[in-house]
Amino acid sequence: MPKWAMAIDLDKCTGCGDCMAACKLENNVAIVDAEQAADDRVMLWMDMMTIYEGEYPNIKLKRIPKPCFHCDNPPCIKVCPVHATYKNEEGLVAQIYNRCIGCRYCMAACPYTAKVFNWYEPEWADEFKTCMNPDVSLRMKGVVEKCSFCAHRLQKVKENARADDREISDGEYSPACADSCPAEAIFFGDLENKESKVFKLSNSPRAFRELEDLGTIPKVFYLSEKE
Amino acid sequence: MNVIDLRKTIKKNSKRILIALSAVIVLAMVWEIFGAPNAIIQPINYNHKLHIEKAKLTCVDCHLFVETMAAATIPNIEVCSDCHSGEPLSKSPEEVKLLKYIESGKRIPWKKIYSVPAHVYFSHRRHVTIGEIKCIQCHGNVQELTEPASHPLWLATMKNCIKCHKENKVTYDCLACHH
Repeated sequence: MPKWAMAIDLDKCTGCGDCMAACKLENNVAIVDAEQAADDRVMLWMDMMTIYEGEYPNIKLKRIPKPCFHCDNPPCIKVCPVHATYKNEEGLVAQIYNRCIGCRYCMAACPYTAKVFNWYEPEWADEFKTCMNPDVSLRMKGVVEKCSFCAHRLQKVKENARADDREISDGEYSPACADSCPAEAIFFGDLENKESKVFKLSNSPRAFRELEDLGTIPKVFYLSEKE
Repeated sequence: MNVIDLRKTIKKNSKRILIALSAVIVLAMVWEIFGAPNAIIQPINYNHKLHIEKAKLTCVDCHLFVETMAAATIPNIEVCSDCHSGEPLSKSPEEVKLLKYIESGKRIPWKKIYSVPAHVYFSHRRHVTIGEIKCIQCHGNVQELTEPASHPLWLATMKNCIKCHKENKVTYDCLACHH
């Protein structure tokens, strides 16, 4: 059984935010207006952590893309009272919107604040309505959503592979953020496959995971020479 | 009968009225659930049997993408016009209707009878090509139909899906169908 994981090379990442835009378009993530955004209700599945270091005029800026980490030991699934979020056999932490009751326990439990809540009925400009990705359902007001590692793409890839009677090759299944990254800083693949790029990167001396001491075992690895 | 009398009779018979009202509601619900749903009438009275037996067509010949894509597709004028163009092939008034659509270039407004909600990913390829399920299993004995089906033979409810997935020991992971 494969175990899907991501590696983000921070030494390559320029912090351009292309992954965020690609994710929003791929997954029909709602666009909130300025007023809602001021209330901290911006909807992003792929967030960008921005850290400022030093004092003016010698400020150093760190930009770190942050999707859902699809932890191997996810704290969010333990608190969900309706099993709307769970970890499947392939290690993907799923969010089933039609089952979600919007209690937001999972958002409180997630140490990485990877989940977002639909505070409003998503509204789309007319120009947008024809541009929706039909493979991803539109969420309604009152449910929690998060990065799915583009699980809808996995279904298509699996179907293609099984129709041709072959295994999924390394790099065939790749989420929108990894596909769009102009710096090629995001890698995606199977951790169980010892030949995969992600497996090799995850064992690199540069690799680390976010808040490792919590024991959540994220499946998103960061690579950086700097601390 | 004045208003006070009416109130009294209502008070006296309140139990009976309540029972009668609930009976009406229950009957309405039973009718809604078990009663005959509205038959779907198609713009052309298409004869599957004739096309399969006389024209020797198979399902894939018209439902072009049943083996290769998620949606099997309902054939429209561009598919029909491969055989039907110019002179009618039969004396059927239904074919005249079709030829009118083809001539005017208007699409036939077929009504879908099998559908899944937007939050469900259903793929014909996954079921037909990979799962090797016969069309007949969900759509019934279409080759015997002389007119279009007016009701879905099999309802695509999650209960029905899971039942079959369990019987055939295939995945029923939520993410396999919902995203």
